[in-house]
Amino acid sequence: MFIHIPRTHIILTLVLSFMLQNGDILAGPVTDQVGRTLVVPENPSRVIALAPSITEIIYDLGQERKLIGVTQYSTYPSEAELLPRVGSYVRLDIEKIVSLKPDLCIAIKDGNPKHIVDKIVALNIPVYVIDPRNLLQIMDAITRLGSLLDAGNAAAVLVADMEKRIEQVQTLVKKARYKPRVFFQIDAEPLFSAGDNTFIHELIELAGGINTAAGEDPYPRYSWEDILVLQPEIVLISSMAGGLDPENLIRSWKKWNQLSAVNNDQVFVVEADLFDRPSPRLVDGLEAIAAIIHPELFTKK
Amino acid sequence: MSFSAKILLTSLLLSIVLLLSSIIAISAGSSGTHFLETLSVLTGNSDPDSVTSTIIWQIRLPRVILAAFVGGTLALGGLVFQALLRNPLAEPYILGISGGSAIGAILAMLIGLSYFPGVAIFSFAGSLLVLVFVTTLAGTTLGNTMHSKDSLLLGGVMMNAFCAAVIMFLISMTRSFQVQHILYWLMGDLATIQKGQLSILLLVLPCFVIIFILARPMNLLLLGRETAAAMGINVKNTILLLLVITSLMVSIIVSLSGLVGFVGLVIPHIFRMVLGPDHRLLVPSCLLGGASYLIFCDLLARVLPSSGELPVGIITALIGAPLFIILLLRDRA
Repeated sequence: MFIHIPRTHIILTLVLSFMLQNGDILAGPVTDQVGRTLVVPENPSRVIALAPSITEIIYDLGQERKLIGVTQYSTYPSEAELLPRVGSYVRLDIEKIVSLKPDLCIAIKDGNPKHIVDKIVALNIPVYVIDPRNLLQIMDAITRLGSLLDAGNAAAVLVADMEKRIEQVQTLVKKARYKPRVFFQIDAEPLFSAGDNTFIHELIELAGGINTAAGEDPYPRYSWEDILVLQPEIVLISSMAGGLDPENLIRSWKKWNQLSAVNNDQVFVVEADLFDRPSPRLVDGLEAIAAIIHPELFTKK
Repeated sequence: MSFSAKILLTSLLLSIVLLLSSIIAISAGSSGTHFLETLSVLTGNSDPDSVTSTIIWQIRLPRVILAAFVGGTLALGGLVFQALLRNPLAEPYILGISGGSAIGAILAMLIGLSYFPGVAIFSFAGSLLVLVFVTTLAGTTLGNTMHSKDSLLLGGVMMNAFCAAVIMFLISMTRSFQVQHILYWLMGDLATIQKGQLSILLLVLPCFVIIFILARPMNLLLLGRETAAAMGINVKNTILLLLVITSLMVSIIVSLSGLVGFVGLVIPHIFRMVLGPDHRLLVPSCLLGGASYLIFCDLLARVLPSSGELPVGIITALIGAPLFIILLLRDRA
């Protein structure tokens, strides 16, 4: 399941950014990524990001001066940790949100509970919802936030950069003669991996691997017995798994020397933040695992 | 002092406590504590469009009202069930209401319905279904045997145990990000209420009145069913009416707040230790005392953490259990 980035997309982005340059700022009713229509202020200056990924995107767009509130675990970039907190993304503190007097909140569908978003809207605060489910939709979300925050140019540059880097990985990976079987461990005790319709699945496939957990269940659970049967050739472990440190995580695999991944020393810990947040950093994650899956293609870099 | 004067005086005293705790709870929150500002907003001497008045009218006041109704209803529900089943461990969820409504609520969350009305209707339907089952079971045995309080109790406990297994099954099958919502709901969550939904709470008011009217029959039931029947009480009808009314009001509350534990168990016992066993005094006391207690616990749940809030059920048990043990020790001494 490769992603083919349409050329029209980048052209559209550029056209949109030129429109915005003429002072033609989007105002009034807009449609967000889940199809809701809402009225946004002409130039929002007091924005609350209701999820860490949204905070990252706003910083990447260089619009952090408009950001007046973020959620718990907004740890990247580190400056974001100094901003006022409005609870965690699943348990938002509505009173705190209202007291910060925002003129716009940006929410994410897969995370922020709908009843809380409804409640914020009922208090006459516009909430723009994004719903990125894959890399293409993340770039769409970035473009949307760019036009919303009067940063169309920055968004176009950011999206173009992401597209270029994804394309580079794709071009390199095409040369690979073999696709290794990759097991991505997102949690330990119990063992969980990521199936179809997850960013992790998309990244593994883009990086030229086969996701051993592919299937309808987005977060399938595994026993060690299952894993011995699966015989992954490469094991990637999310650094957040089970709250354990990297040495412990790798050690729990080392005892299974029947696995080729263990025998060939192909067990790696990767930084969790690069894989579970729908932000531009997913491309960093893509490059990181592509280099692990196909080291022969990436040594020149 | 006559008995009715004692009821009035106790109720008046507890009403003052309720009023004071409400005002304190409305004054404090995550955006800061402003006692005087709150008073001026509440008395209408402040700009109605200001942020403070939005926070007070739209966020804190609905929540304090919900806390009061939930606390009062659960305490009263516990009182009725303890009397009805003559079991000190009875609590408002004992007849399987918690299990039934939790399954309904979790199903609604898994389908992806909104909290209101979706989850509320499903959880209400779930608890009603279990209630009908358990009371039918009790109703068929009620006439035949004088020991049917045990069959009612056991029916409820078994329903809850069965439902708990279904709940665990549903949770274990759930995708990771929904589990958090479900767990918060199971721990009791007052954060979901919106101002427009408060009118539903009015449905429990007639239940309060009926239970107060039945306070004297409840006293007689405590003496045993034979004695109550000899004193001219229609035992079967009174029990069924109390069962249905109490379960109904608890179901309504659960559908709005999730499962807030401990209030319904501890508050009736505390008042029984302090005021004695007369239900004419206990009904209004539990109602007002339970309301104040949950308002106070919810205040702590909102204010204690530096960011976000705790599920209120944690606070109710953390304070309730030690308080109860202290009273128990004093009672023994």
